Amino acid sequence: MTEAQPAGVHTVDALLEVDGISKRFAGIQALGGDRGLTVDIGRGAFVGLIGPNGAGKSTMFNLLSGVLPADSGTVIFDGKDITTATSHERAEHGIGRTFQTPRTFESLTVLENVVVGATSPGEQLRSAFGRSWRRHEAGLVDHARDILGQVGLADREAEPVTDLSGGELRMLGVARQLIRRPTLLLLDEPTAGVHPLLQDRLAELLVELHSGGMTLVVVEHNLHFLLAIAEHILVLTQGRLLAQGPPADIRGDPAVISAYLGEDHAA
Amino acid sequence: MNWPQLLITVATIGSIFGVVTLALNLQYARGGMINFGIVAYFAVGAYTYAIFTQPSPKGLDQYAFGLDWPWWAGVLAAGTAALAFAALTGWPTLRLRGEYLALTTFAFAEVFHSFLLNERRIGNGTVGLSNVERPFGDWGPIEEKYVFAAVAALLLLATLLAFRQLLASPYGRALDAIRDDEVAAESSGKPAANMRRQVFLISAVPVGLAGAVYAMFTTLAQPSLFTAEVTFIVWIALVLGGERSVYGAMLGAFGLVFFEEVVRAWPFETVRSAQIAASVEHIFTGLLFIAVLRFQPFDRIQRRMKART
Repeated sequence: MTEAQPAGVHTVDALLEVDGISKRFAGIQALGGDRGLTVDIGRGAFVGLIGPNGAGKSTMFNLLSGVLPADSGTVIFDGKDITTATSHERAEHGIGRTFQTPRTFESLTVLENVVVGATSPGEQLRSAFGRSWRRHEAGLVDHARDILGQVGLADREAEPVTDLSGGELRMLGVARQLIRRPTLLLLDEPTAGVHPLLQDRLAELLVELHSGGMTLVVVEHNLHFLLAIAEHILVLTQGRLLAQGPPADIRGDPAVISAYLGEDHAA
Repeated sequence: MNWPQLLITVATIGSIFGVVTLALNLQYARGGMINFGIVAYFAVGAYTYAIFTQPSPKGLDQYAFGLDWPWWAGVLAAGTAALAFAALTGWPTLRLRGEYLALTTFAFAEVFHSFLLNERRIGNGTVGLSNVERPFGDWGPIEEKYVFAAVAALLLLATLLAFRQLLASPYGRALDAIRDDEVAAESSGKPAANMRRQVFLISAVPVGLAGAVYAMFTTLAQPSLFTAEVTFIVWIALVLGGERSVYGAMLGAFGLVFFEEVVRAWPFETVRSAQIAASVEHIFTGLLFIAVLRFQPFDRIQRRMKART
């Protein structure tokens, strides 16, 4: 599989087409190398994105989700050019993401942190002064409770988010994206600090979401977790795509082993 | 001391400043925007009302515009002008955050104040516009001062109900999310810049209306009434009352106005003692302000109440 071919085995229909994107911070190339990074994500794919620290994984997520603008290149999502789209526009297009460091809304409860992820009619200024949004609100709250149950936080809904542990905050971040039902979900290290039992539940949830047709790209240092559930792996190092393929191929790839563990182990 | 008169003044001025404090509460406590130039929107309302309702210039008048329209048209114009002024000033300033926004809005207000002082054709310069129309008069047996207090209180109540409705809706929740973490809120589909602009604009409208009522009450639109001191009084009221609650914001405004009016109305026997009392009032307000910031009693109460529920 060449760089520009769709990743994933579900379909060759590309949901996300990334062509030559790059990013520099203070003159140092963080992603893309000389020619930029070119990679496609197939519709319905389950892609794992791995690489050593500083490889550019989170930068790639920031460029794809619009948190940072790319220095060069184009991003096509579901046939639409979203290169210049803002972060919230990309979310509206169907791209959801979580963050490497969990980001939460501290003045809201756990339940509200999930509900706020959805787009409610009452968020429009004109509707906010009326009462019609109340009809949708009950449905949103029920849906948020279901999702909290899926991520193991059902009994914490009324608590302030400051009471949650680091792992629970990560699950909350996932829950807030799930209520949006994104077409493409970017998860940045979802298992870091998460209790092993909850990790198993998360793995089941991701497989279930994938079966339901959601496209997933997961950045993860826990290779045991990721290689067991992802269908396709992208390996980044120094901002460039080092290798890609099914987990079985990646496990034995000397270049990948070298990038992670050093030249001695690859030999 | 004439307590009934004092209380009616506190009700009127407290309600007017309560409206401005509520607007600041919406902008800062919920929208995360530090506006150190809110007096400018208040002044825009007052001057617009005066210009729309005053007669054409004659004699020694230096102002160029006097439309002589009815009072209700002046009130409508005051709200609209404050909205337009917020749109004009919000466009360049709302790209800024934190102290940069605070400084820029402060600078805008100072420029506007300087404009009012120096541009005689608009506001008659330092003299200002006097004899602003007082539209209400006595309503049958009800004296004018009570009518004014009722009008100011109604404006406060309408502002409170509108803002409460807005903040209790998903719009308010999204606004809280944007204030807490803009990047995460944007990634959840919340258009932060657009919502912040909306809040800035809609909160300016009642401030403009309050400016109109203030001009009616004082019968003046004069630069000396709209200095940075007004901004700081409203900010102190917001902090004293507890910035997170709309009721606290109102309470802070009434408390501060009451305190000031008592000192003003106290029958001091000498000028010296009145001067000392005025200084002590400022020192006391300052100490109270520092104590509230240091100990954050309202945040503690709110946290306790939330924990109980």
